[in-house]
Amino acid sequence: MTPSVRAQTFAAREPGRAPTRRTAELNAKGSRSARSCYGLPDIAEKPQPIMTQEELSELIARTALGDRKAFSSLYAATSAKLFGVSLRILKDRAQAEDAVQEVYVRIWRRAGSFRVGQASAMAWLVTIARNQAIDMIRARQPATLEYDDAPEMADPDPDPEARAALSGEARRIEACLGELETGKAAAVVDAYVEGLSYQELAEKYRVPLNTMRTWLRRSLLKLRECLNR
Amino acid sequence: MSPGPQIPDDIALAGEYVLGVLPLDARRAVERRMAEDAGFAALVAAWQADLAHLDEAYQPETPPEGVKARIDARLFAEPAKPAGGLWGSLVFWRGLAFAAVAVAASTGFFLADLRGPGGPATGPSLVAELGAPGSSVGLVAALDPATGVFSITPAAFSPDDGKSLELWLVPGEGAPVSLGLVPEDGSRLVLDPGLGDRLTAGALLAVSLEPLGGSPTGGPTGPVLLSGELDHK
Repeated sequence: MTPSVRAQTFAAREPGRAPTRRTAELNAKGSRSARSCYGLPDIAEKPQPIMTQEELSELIARTALGDRKAFSSLYAATSAKLFGVSLRILKDRAQAEDAVQEVYVRIWRRAGSFRVGQASAMAWLVTIARNQAIDMIRARQPATLEYDDAPEMADPDPDPEARAALSGEARRIEACLGELETGKAAAVVDAYVEGLSYQELAEKYRVPLNTMRTWLRRSLLKLRECLNR
Repeated sequence: MSPGPQIPDDIALAGEYVLGVLPLDARRAVERRMAEDAGFAALVAAWQADLAHLDEAYQPETPPEGVKARIDARLFAEPAKPAGGLWGSLVFWRGLAFAAVAVAASTGFFLADLRGPGGPATGPSLVAELGAPGSSVGLVAALDPATGVFSITPAAFSPDDGKSLELWLVPGEGAPVSLGLVPEDGSRLVLDPGLGDRLTAGALLAVSLEPLGGSPTGGPTGPVLLSGELDHK
């Protein structure tokens, strides 16, 4: 779906007629200008309600029963987080908007598969958003890994931000990441948070693709051993 | 967790899948394996649970305002493609009540039903089926030109709290003209006198999402969600 979807409403029914064009222009103006005209706060500043995992779980359960008000509440409470996930991975607002639409369509359709106890509600939602965004970027990339030497890249520094953003909630995974060499732990975090492919990781850390994959798989085995301890 | 021994290759593969580093075809292969192999699916779930703590790195950012309306339009105003005409599509329509209304409208009993006992007995002569992209019908608007009364039936779409749906006449030239707010409960929308003359067969109608109480500007300010032409029924 593209942002021009509303214009298609008219295009499909009134090809080439003036209303199509004008209504598309009306739509392109969006509602933001009207909000500011009337002194309403910009929508982006509106905080989303903070809910507990239990409240989110209940909203997901009610959504599974077809409760649209619960679905709207779930959207109000979680769409900023999931849009944040989409933006971080896709790095493009229009694509992130498309991704978020797909994500909530999936949430509506798959809410029945959520099981309390298997995952926290927010983790389940973020997983859906990450999978959608990663599928979208992988769809534009080579379909298979090619084990060639990676080209040199100008910016080899691992991004420390992702690790710095971790708080006490994440102590176990952080402690186990701490047992890895710094660069290798950063590669794990970059892969997860940014949705980087093996190719992109290899370029970022300036190692051949096959080396990157060997590193990452070894890191995962060490992590699992530590996490299971 | 799987009771059997954990194969290092599988642990790593499940981790690679959750990290997201695999190419698309490998991701699909892992998902097929998850569906068939509960032990492997448990490995994936364990990685998801452990790595979910990294989700704190994602900074929330409110999506643009129109996104929710587009999601709702896709989910709730989108009947499946009719396979065999009106009757063939009925089973796919989400709202049974809506289906009943649409059929009633197409057979001319629409207004008589809504008018209730004791009302005048003239039938509607103009009906618009207002649809969303890729779908056939979202709202049914039936106009009785004699009285200037629209009967509008919300079919499978209702706006979020704090929003209104506004009905517009979109003329061939000039700005859209507000016809009023779409009633949420299927009641009637009475046209301003003088508008009736402009509502003839072929007139293009549209429904936009507006702040509660309607557009503050006199023109559509929110996304156009539905549109359709008035026609004789």
